[in-house]
Amino acid sequence: MTPETAVVQALNGISFGALLFILAAGLSLIFGMMDVVNLAHGAFYMLGAYITLTVVQRTGQFWLALLLAPLLIGALGLLMEPLLLRRLRGRHLDQVLLTIGVSLVIADLIGLTFGREIRSIPFPAGLDHAITIMGGDYPVYRLFVIAFGVALAVLLAIVHRRTRVGALIRAGVDDAPMLAALGVDIDRLFAVTFAVGAALAGLAGVIAAPVFGIYPGMDVDYLIYSLVVVVVGGLGTLSGAVAGSALIGPTDTFGRVLFPQFALALIFAIMAVVLLLRPTGLLGRIRIAR
Amino acid sequence: MTRFAAPVAALVVAALLVTFPLWSSPWESSRYATTILQSMLVVAILALSLDLLVGSAGMPSLGHAAYFGAGAYAAAIAGQRLGSDDLLLGLGAAVLVSAVLALAIGAVAVRAAGIFFLMLTLAFAQMVFAIAFQAADITGGSNGFSGVRRPTFLGLDFNDATALFHLVAVVFLLVLLLVWRIRSSTYGRALVGLRENERRMRALGYDTTRLKLSAFVLAGAIAGVGGALQAYSIRFVSPNDVGVARSVEAFVSVLIGGASTLLGPAIGAAVVVFIERVLDSYVPYADTILGLVFIVFVLAARQGIVGLVRVAYARVRA
Repeated sequence: MTPETAVVQALNGISFGALLFILAAGLSLIFGMMDVVNLAHGAFYMLGAYITLTVVQRTGQFWLALLLAPLLIGALGLLMEPLLLRRLRGRHLDQVLLTIGVSLVIADLIGLTFGREIRSIPFPAGLDHAITIMGGDYPVYRLFVIAFGVALAVLLAIVHRRTRVGALIRAGVDDAPMLAALGVDIDRLFAVTFAVGAALAGLAGVIAAPVFGIYPGMDVDYLIYSLVVVVVGGLGTLSGAVAGSALIGPTDTFGRVLFPQFALALIFAIMAVVLLLRPTGLLGRIRIAR
Repeated sequence: MTRFAAPVAALVVAALLVTFPLWSSPWESSRYATTILQSMLVVAILALSLDLLVGSAGMPSLGHAAYFGAGAYAAAIAGQRLGSDDLLLGLGAAVLVSAVLALAIGAVAVRAAGIFFLMLTLAFAQMVFAIAFQAADITGGSNGFSGVRRPTFLGLDFNDATALFHLVAVVFLLVLLLVWRIRSSTYGRALVGLRENERRMRALGYDTTRLKLSAFVLAGAIAGVGGALQAYSIRFVSPNDVGVARSVEAFVSVLIGGASTLLGPAIGAAVVVFIERVLDSYVPYADTILGLVFIVFVLAARQGIVGLVRVAYARVRA
């Protein structure tokens, strides 16, 4: 591998990691608060990408999609928590199963509406050029993905540590029943948490749309990626999502270049090794395996 | 008199099932119905094996298609590479490969419980999917493996559609019998003990990790038999047989039929195949219906169809 390709692939890997962070942060947030692994997370991500496709086709405005998709998907989450998940509170496994049903419905409806072809949208205006890195052209949009992921991580960390909402989230992750006993409206907190987690998945879908593809089956692919990221990094903490995506993004990217035959198996091998050596994941607090 | 009623009824139903192509032959759509029923039986084998984990042992595997697909590929590839049409060779290869795969994945996955077990089985099954997809020179990759050779056994040639149906039906009944024996054995009760209280089982001296792993391998091997029959039935194997959709199909079958009941998973499989194969030719949104049915069962009827029937029956008798 020449130094030029190494740098380009490193940037590709970091931008993929940044995308995975946006995706995994929402999954980890919902899990930390509610003890529910939202298996519709990939479907929400897919929905974000297809909303972007629609908005860009109709109006040509990528930035409108960036605003609209998280709002719509957040609203969907805000409805779904009280209507479906709340009925099964305390039955975590059944709540997880419920999200499987939801993801079946969402993925099927998207497939019926948009067909089974791979779709693509152009880079958004202002980010559609390339810059020269190590003598080659590199799309600016990928650098934007990195910047966006980092900015979001910083923003979430500030919210988490410095705001009242962040304090509520930390308390809820620690001990939700105690928080409810202290008079916090836990129903509202759970609904909002689920909505924010869903909106983050939708946001990841928007950011991914111009560069990581829009296709049927993306829901499953990215659900698996986000599961691997949170298992490797550790569930229920923001730093876990950062660590997991920082490891998995570049590893997966370099794996595809260096040994294309085994690339897809590589990240699962890492997951297995991490689980055997550190059952909580790298920076997690919850024991995933014995 | 009543002592014999249940076994006799079971034998009659079993005989009716195996001879379905014969007595349904006057029907206009007999061929079609036989194909659908055969497909139901194959998915039922997968669901029955999954219920050993989900229902009996309380291990919610969402990656069970990995072992089904491994069995399908093993039977197909063994037939092609070894140039043999022997049924026992094909089924043997399927059982061996799926059991070894289940042992490898299970060794990591059974260390986790509940939701985490579900996440890990799902993720590792996707790894198997990726391998099936990328090892194109062996599996045919995304094009799939077509032209699977149908087996022969003791002079029976399963290229004949009716003979193949008999084979699938008989194997289904054998699997049902096996699962019934397991459920009433000491081993089966130990699995239920795992589900109810794993710590107590450990305190009683059981090596629970080994117990879980053995159940995982056993369920994987039975799923592999189902996969082999699937490969023989449609003479085609693709990465979809290993994919998440099929794992979900099996899980949904178990849940809507009734987890931890003998016949529930088979009934659930019949419902799922009906929605996906029959209903699908009338309405475009079959998967949406399947998803909604699943949601309703999880929300309102977690005990499944068999559980609902039991409740209704108890009410009638009372």
